[in-house]
Amino acid sequence: MKRSLVWPALLWATTLVASPAQALQVVATLPSLAALAREVAGSYAAVECLLSPRQDPHYADARPNLILSLHRADLLVVNGLELEVGWLPGLARQARNPKIQTGAAGYFDASMAVLRLQVPGQVDRAMGDIHPGGNPHFHLDPRAAAHIAVALGKSLSTLDPAHAAEYAKNASVLSARLRALAAEIAQRFAALPEAERRLAVYHDSLVYLVDWLHLKQVIAVEPRPGIPPDPGHLAKVVATVRTTGARALVQEEYYPRAASDQVAKLTGMRVAVVAGGPQFSANQRYEDYVRGVAKTLYEALHGGP
Amino acid sequence: MSNPALSLILDTAVAAYSDAKPLMTGGHDPKRNGFNLQQLELHAESSVDPYFTLQTNIVFAQFGVEVEEMYAESMALPAGLQIKAGQFLTAFGRINPTHLHSWNFADQPLMIGKFFGSEGSRGLGAQLGWLLPLPWYVELKASATDAVGACCARSLLGGNDLPVRSPGDVAYTANLKTFVPFDEDWSLSISASGQAGPNASGNGNRSEIVGGDLYLRFRPAGDPERRHLSLQMEHAVRARQVPGRSLVDQAGYAQLIGMFALRWEAGLRTEWTTGVADDPLDPEWNASRQRHSAQLTFYPSHFSRVRLQGTLDRPAWRAEPIWGAVLAFEALIGAHGSHGF
Repeated sequence: MKRSLVWPALLWATTLVASPAQALQVVATLPSLAALAREVAGSYAAVECLLSPRQDPHYADARPNLILSLHRADLLVVNGLELEVGWLPGLARQARNPKIQTGAAGYFDASMAVLRLQVPGQVDRAMGDIHPGGNPHFHLDPRAAAHIAVALGKSLSTLDPAHAAEYAKNASVLSARLRALAAEIAQRFAALPEAERRLAVYHDSLVYLVDWLHLKQVIAVEPRPGIPPDPGHLAKVVATVRTTGARALVQEEYYPRAASDQVAKLTGMRVAVVAGGPQFSANQRYEDYVRGVAKTLYEALHGGP
Repeated sequence: MSNPALSLILDTAVAAYSDAKPLMTGGHDPKRNGFNLQQLELHAESSVDPYFTLQTNIVFAQFGVEVEEMYAESMALPAGLQIKAGQFLTAFGRINPTHLHSWNFADQPLMIGKFFGSEGSRGLGAQLGWLLPLPWYVELKASATDAVGACCARSLLGGNDLPVRSPGDVAYTANLKTFVPFDEDWSLSISASGQAGPNASGNGNRSEIVGGDLYLRFRPAGDPERRHLSLQMEHAVRARQVPGRSLVDQAGYAQLIGMFALRWEAGLRTEWTTGVADDPLDPEWNASRQRHSAQLTFYPSHFSRVRLQGTLDRPAWRAEPIWGAVLAFEALIGAHGSHGF
């Protein structure tokens, strides 16, 4: 009995000894943001991600262990535009960490660094789960990611001035690479004929990608954001896909497949399922994630394996 | 300057019970046959400054208004400490500190009504929370609150508004909670609670309530249908000193809640309480009582729900069981803060 307590106690003691000397603690909500933060921070910060790419960031559970991560954080990186509003605010309040509260130097809202799309003039819940500040799903657009990388570099430099030069350099190198990646992929998609540039989506989460790659979104399977389709709307989706000749239906893996598969079966279009973010815990880089998404999308639109 | 986050939540129900007096113990339960306004809750919250937040819950009934909660909470204390001051629901167990809006059934558990009162255990006072410096989540909360109110301290002074003469004349509540995330899908939360304070039988007599709770949750993280299954249990033992003896009784519940498809939830709950024969402090509830409930809920969106609930209530002091059926509707407008786990 006594022996069983020794190991946990030792473990605890090591964390007490080890913690004061540690580098900057960065906590990001989404895997894409965590992956970007890891590259900008380099070896000067430990980056943790609150959600896995399997989790829909609209509907995550407010697990109490996340309070601990937020409690220890020096920098909290959020997507913003109310994407995390269903679970993060209560956790942040319980984190009793003034460094990461809204408005503090350790609170980084990625949406402040990007050019927002779909900012509604008028907001009403009858429109569904609308985000008043604009569409929050910019993480798939490497042009947005390039802006975020630069802004992250500035935030990290403020918090850790001793390594400001390194953060600025990392951010600048990363953002240049991301812009090059954006241009390279856009060029490949530019070669697609008009008929292969039309797509449908499940949730309205690809507007930044559509804008980046000059594609055309013809319809969403959800009649309004967050509202699952009824048979009437599905009939409209099928009719629209037939009329426009849209080639692909794109959705994140955490959205239901049944409706999309049904539309695909009736229209012959392809369903392209993309991961919700990079495999951060397996060290996948943001750029590799975006390349993977672009490949899946290209093949669905153009045909291929 | 930005306004506080404001929301209004309407809870209304139509109910049919086999008895005209169905013995519902919650202040916002559907209590009578026909239409019931359970409550209209006005919730406001905001940061005060970098150091505090303020939260208020004002509840409107058809002919009255009640301040359910109003408290400031610290944001910037060191060493994992957090202070709450004002009027608040005490941290006893899982359901007591929460509101009707986040419950899985249309009524309050009998355990809360019997041991604390129609509004649950709450009071004016202060609470200190401490996030222990451990590698896993353990939080200790301890509060001192006034021990009066038939609605909120019925095991303590209840409706007897006695003056506070010493530190022993207020209620003390403590809760120790831990959370174990087994993996991305499975997790367990367990806690132990205790409350002590003076009771209404005089002579410095005291009441003590000790309880434990658990919440086991299975939610496959990548499931597009957002399905989950959770088992929640609470049990508490109460001891009240009265002249010449100590009255000991128990109460608890277990519930199983499943979100079985997108927007659809079902739940089963069984509740148990014991009673003390010729209980001078609780003369109307002096024998055992069991209640069993089942519910089916449809969520049209994140902001509305329709719930059908059936109940079989067996108070030992009634010859016949009481059957009940409730159709409850909830709608939320405005900006409402995220809920706890």
